[in-house]
Amino acid sequence: MSAAGRSIVIPHLGRVEGHGGIFVKVVGGRVHEVNMDIFEGSRYYEALLKGKHFLDVQGVITRVCAICSAGHTVAALAALENALGIGSSPRVFKMRGLLTLGATIESHALHVFALALPDFLGFDSVIAMAEKYPREVTFALKLKQLGNRIQELIGGRAVHPVNTLVGGFGKLPRHRDLEEIRAALAAAQGPLAGFVELAASIEVPDFAARPTVFVALRPHEEGYRFRGSTLCTSRGEEFPVAEYRDVVREFTVEHSHAKHAALASGETYMVGSLARLALWGDRLVGQAREAFQRLFPRGVEENVLTNTWAQLVELVHCLERGQQVCEELLGLPEEEREMQDYRVRAGRGVGAIEVPRGTLIHEYSFDDDGIIESANVITPTAQNLANTERDLRAAVERLLASDVGSESILKLKLEMVARAYDPCISCSVHVTCL
Amino acid sequence: MAKSKPKVGIFGLTGCAGDQLQILNCEDQLIPLARQMDIVDWVMASSRNDHTCRLDIAFVEGVVATERDLESLKEIRARTKTLVALGTCAVWGGLPAMHNEIPREVLQREVYHSSPLHFLDTVEALPPTHFVPFEITLPGCPIERHEFLRVAHALLAGAMPEFHMLPVCWECKAKENLCRVVYFQEVCAGAMTRGGCGARCPSHAVACAGCRGPLEEPNYDANITMFADRGISWVEIARKMSQFSAPVWIKQGLEKEVRHERRR
Repeated sequence: MSAAGRSIVIPHLGRVEGHGGIFVKVVGGRVHEVNMDIFEGSRYYEALLKGKHFLDVQGVITRVCAICSAGHTVAALAALENALGIGSSPRVFKMRGLLTLGATIESHALHVFALALPDFLGFDSVIAMAEKYPREVTFALKLKQLGNRIQELIGGRAVHPVNTLVGGFGKLPRHRDLEEIRAALAAAQGPLAGFVELAASIEVPDFAARPTVFVALRPHEEGYRFRGSTLCTSRGEEFPVAEYRDVVREFTVEHSHAKHAALASGETYMVGSLARLALWGDRLVGQAREAFQRLFPRGVEENVLTNTWAQLVELVHCLERGQQVCEELLGLPEEEREMQDYRVRAGRGVGAIEVPRGTLIHEYSFDDDGIIESANVITPTAQNLANTERDLRAAVERLLASDVGSESILKLKLEMVARAYDPCISCSVHVTCL
Repeated sequence: MAKSKPKVGIFGLTGCAGDQLQILNCEDQLIPLARQMDIVDWVMASSRNDHTCRLDIAFVEGVVATERDLESLKEIRARTKTLVALGTCAVWGGLPAMHNEIPREVLQREVYHSSPLHFLDTVEALPPTHFVPFEITLPGCPIERHEFLRVAHALLAGAMPEFHMLPVCWECKAKENLCRVVYFQEVCAGAMTRGGCGARCPSHAVACAGCRGPLEEPNYDANITMFADRGISWVEIARKMSQFSAPVWIKQGLEKEVRHERRR
């Protein structure tokens, strides 16, 4: 490798959601600059919400991002209901949980099998991979479809749910539909276990490994769960999520339409499946516990490339947990509709949820007529961007020192680092503060 | 081999990627469909793409919200034979266009706390159909999978897809849902909105928000008058109509209703 100045440019990162690139500048053999360029256009949704009624929030904010539409929906409704001072009934809480599990199955299946696995198996896309691994790809798409079926049943549509309302649901699922979903979840467990074995046979490289702070929500009950109201770090710190502004510091950087985030200490951090496993992996049970031990025999290590395997462990968990939630919902009487009565009053509320890519926080305030005065959305990808750049820097330094080979191999390895975070760039451009 | 497969590109401008996701969501039919095409440029799904070759078919979703979007759109048009607009953003502007009357500097100040930010080359959000001609437009937020498959199969067969232009209201009546306007005094855009979704929202006891964009000749005035006659305030009507197809409704008279809204 030449010691003179050079740039490594990946103008348009493939197999991620949204538009971004990677820019690295090396001067005199030293890495001078590492940028994740985010050039996705800004849609200013949170500013556009100002003046709308709180009942219109979900329909607008869900459209920040398609893959995360269910997550945005659940976070927004929780924040609005907190502002109104109402809680959810047990059925509504469970149904939103099932919706979240469906969204996680869909999103993880898409990322693990269609976006990330081609890197590990040496293909450009899942379509190319289908020629050599037809059975595996067919199952992966079936699994993704199952996630969509759950979202369709609970949310009324696989992308941008319509059935999800402040206070409840427009229409409740029939018991026979829940029974079908439960059976489909059970049927997917065997084939997915086969994938865990395939993954265990692939060695994950460690060229991007680096000490990392992990952040995730403490589950609302004993067990591995995706909702909670306390932000926890891998250093043992804990904060009520309502105080997120004191914990998450946001700042604007010139090369990105998305803001960056760091902890108050200035350290960057990671949110997502790997962070959740690092903090709460010991709470996994059943096959998910076995998958965790199989894929992480030494426990969670600080290597973002293993995030894809963490998603695979969560897929196993979602299949098992989904059956339990169906069971619980089947224990309730079959009804048409469930809506809570409430009185409109001025309020401010925060809602948080662990979505596939990490912790998502929504905050709204509205006046006595229910008209939105301010909105704030903190997305996982925006929180991860600064950390991604540090991982990329570590990777470039290590790869340049070890003479990695051709420029295209170097680029592919950097792309793998960015893709491991499963970035959702549409979402990230909407980290806003009013 | 009889004939070469058509070269296909799939593109997203500024948006939520929901329409591209709906293509990936055609799970069962995705691989058989992909085998009949040569998908040469799809950044969301592949890491090896040809950004310059001629395309027989291209699908474009999202709005033009940056100078860069507009450049990409013109490049795509120049290399494509049959161009398909996917989703309400691409066809009508959708939600990003709902308040184009507010200057971008104001929004920048509210979102990024400073303005002007020169690295944000944002312009007012407009649909790609505003800038270049499209052979086919397929609205929906997101598009319905069955409609996408119909377009894809028709084009592969060398035909143009045909859709009957019925309103959501018609599909809702066929499902015997209780009318959101008549029984619940809600603003429902179902009678002005292009069907194809099977009246998803009213079937979940939720009024149609008009996410699929307007019919060819929506009777805007009659609908708005019907809402007002039922005692719904102009403020409420303006708020509900300033969503998915605001630029279209503005031309039809929504401007008058919007005046009742509070100014920022």
